[in-house]
Amino acid sequence: MEIIKTSNLKKSYMLGNVEVKALNGVDTSIEQGEFVAIMGPSGCGKSTFLNLTGMLDTPTSGEIYLEGKDVTNMNSNMRAEYRLKYMGFVFQFFNLFNELTVMENVMFPMMLNKRSNYKERAKELLNLVGLGDRLNHLPSELSGGQQQRVTIARSLANDPKILLADEPTGNLDTASSIEIIELFRKLNQEQGQTIVMVTHSPEIGGMTDRIIHFRDGTIEH
Amino acid sequence: MSVDLRSAFFYSRKDIFKNIKIFIIITLSIILATANIIVINGLIDGMIEDLVDNTVESSVGHLNIYPDNNERFIEGIGIKEQRLATLKEVEAYSPRISATGVLSNKELSVSSTILALDPDKERKTTKLLEKLVRGAAVNPNDKNAILVSSRLAEDLKLDVGDEATLAFENGIIKVYNVKGIIRTGNLDFDSSTVIMPMDEAYRQLAIDNMASIILVKLSDKSMSEIYKPMIMQNLDVNNIRTWEEETEFVSNFANSWRSISSIISGVGLIAAAISVGIVIYINIIHKKRQIGIMKAIGTSNAFIFTVFLMEAAIFGVIGVFIGDSVGYLAIKYFEANPFLDAISQTWISARFEPQLFYIATIFSFGVTILAGVYPAIKASRVEIIKAIWGT
Repeated sequence: MEIIKTSNLKKSYMLGNVEVKALNGVDTSIEQGEFVAIMGPSGCGKSTFLNLTGMLDTPTSGEIYLEGKDVTNMNSNMRAEYRLKYMGFVFQFFNLFNELTVMENVMFPMMLNKRSNYKERAKELLNLVGLGDRLNHLPSELSGGQQQRVTIARSLANDPKILLADEPTGNLDTASSIEIIELFRKLNQEQGQTIVMVTHSPEIGGMTDRIIHFRDGTIEH
Repeated sequence: MSVDLRSAFFYSRKDIFKNIKIFIIITLSIILATANIIVINGLIDGMIEDLVDNTVESSVGHLNIYPDNNERFIEGIGIKEQRLATLKEVEAYSPRISATGVLSNKELSVSSTILALDPDKERKTTKLLEKLVRGAAVNPNDKNAILVSSRLAEDLKLDVGDEATLAFENGIIKVYNVKGIIRTGNLDFDSSTVIMPMDEAYRQLAIDNMASIILVKLSDKSMSEIYKPMIMQNLDVNNIRTWEEETEFVSNFANSWRSISSIISGVGLIAAAISVGIVIYINIIHKKRQIGIMKAIGTSNAFIFTVFLMEAAIFGVIGVFIGDSVGYLAIKYFEANPFLDAISQTWISARFEPQLFYIATIFSFGVTILAGVYPAIKASRVEIIKAIWGT
């Protein structure tokens, strides 16, 4: 079943008086349960594509379909609700809430989603990413790899159908990077999570089901 | 999408208490602004009430009967006193004579106001004769004794036991013995007044059964407006002033002080509001990326707005609560420990009125919330992509 589909997706920015075309008509389709890598040189539109499919930004033109539903013109409140309930995000910079403990970082999206058993679920997720013994630590007390694992646990909090990761290993050493990708693979295989990951690394990309190559704002065939 | 207040409160609380030093500084500014409103206004209310009480106790009655227009004296005071004595609302009364004269000591002379009174009736009506600083009060039958007000005595270098020459307005000159020095705190009174018994004034001024004013003390001074027409009718007099009318100058003075206190309180509130606003604003600038992430994981603009407005509200609740308590304790301290005003020589204490509490709470809390509105709006408008990528 097709979970993400884009049709003639375009995004352009104004840089002073100059129009920069970040995406120039992207047609793509991702199946439910796929683990897909988006690759390409810097500035080719990988992150822009991820931001648009993650409803963090709005396209200049074209359509985005999630689970067959056109979400292109949803208002900001509806997009926020959709992101909360159906999407998980992992960014390159670990982006945890510094004032919250590891456990609270993972609990927070569940509290927003008004889930009842959020404490148990947070512990369960942190055990899953191997941080069951770091529940009450602050992010500043963890290594980069550990922080990224907390981010992954947080992204899974509301059992999202789609996990979007923008260079999740970009700031990690090789050992930590492999650990994170193995974790993604495990989630993909055991929980059927659809994962779309932007990466520069061919090695990391090679560990996924499929690679979509971008160049100059379009998909390279 | 409704805002989940529990989650907003959870995050606000965590964010506020992450830096305890900043929290203390901000809360302290709200505490001081709130307590400032209560203490300054409480002290001014106390000062005004004490001033009024002091003026009423020493210089005026609850009701003051004056001669009719164009008359110098109230005539037939004997019958008027008898009628006053029959009114159950009247607790005491004291007729007084006012005249002009010149008091001299050797080569020094000062124009003076001669105030003649019946010491026994005056004691029941006012506390004037309790304001002696040295010596003793005059007796009704004293023929050669006077009391001299403190500044007049200083100007003429007089003290208790000295002799002074008093020239009456009708040209009669007589030497008196200074029996006591009196100080009321009223500048006019203290700089020019000579007090003598009523009968001695009658003798020297060659008048009888007259008064320049009759001071009336009521059982309840707040009822003066109600008793005024009743006494006018009973005594057949037309010119009566209540103590409120007599102390109108204090009200004008009080209004000036209240304006000053409003300015002081306003400045305190603005300072508190600016510090709250700046801290929340700087906090928002520093955590733009986190706000972006918060939005990315699914919070709405309204939620972000609520989080930061709630931070202002938490500062407000804690600061105002402690500020109210500090203000209340300070007022209670000044109530129990009045201080002497060096100018008026009167004891001044503070007054706590419940409305002070409400005013301080409403204004401080309101201003703190308002201070949080702009930063909260700015936070809610953060664009996700720009925030996350820091562009």
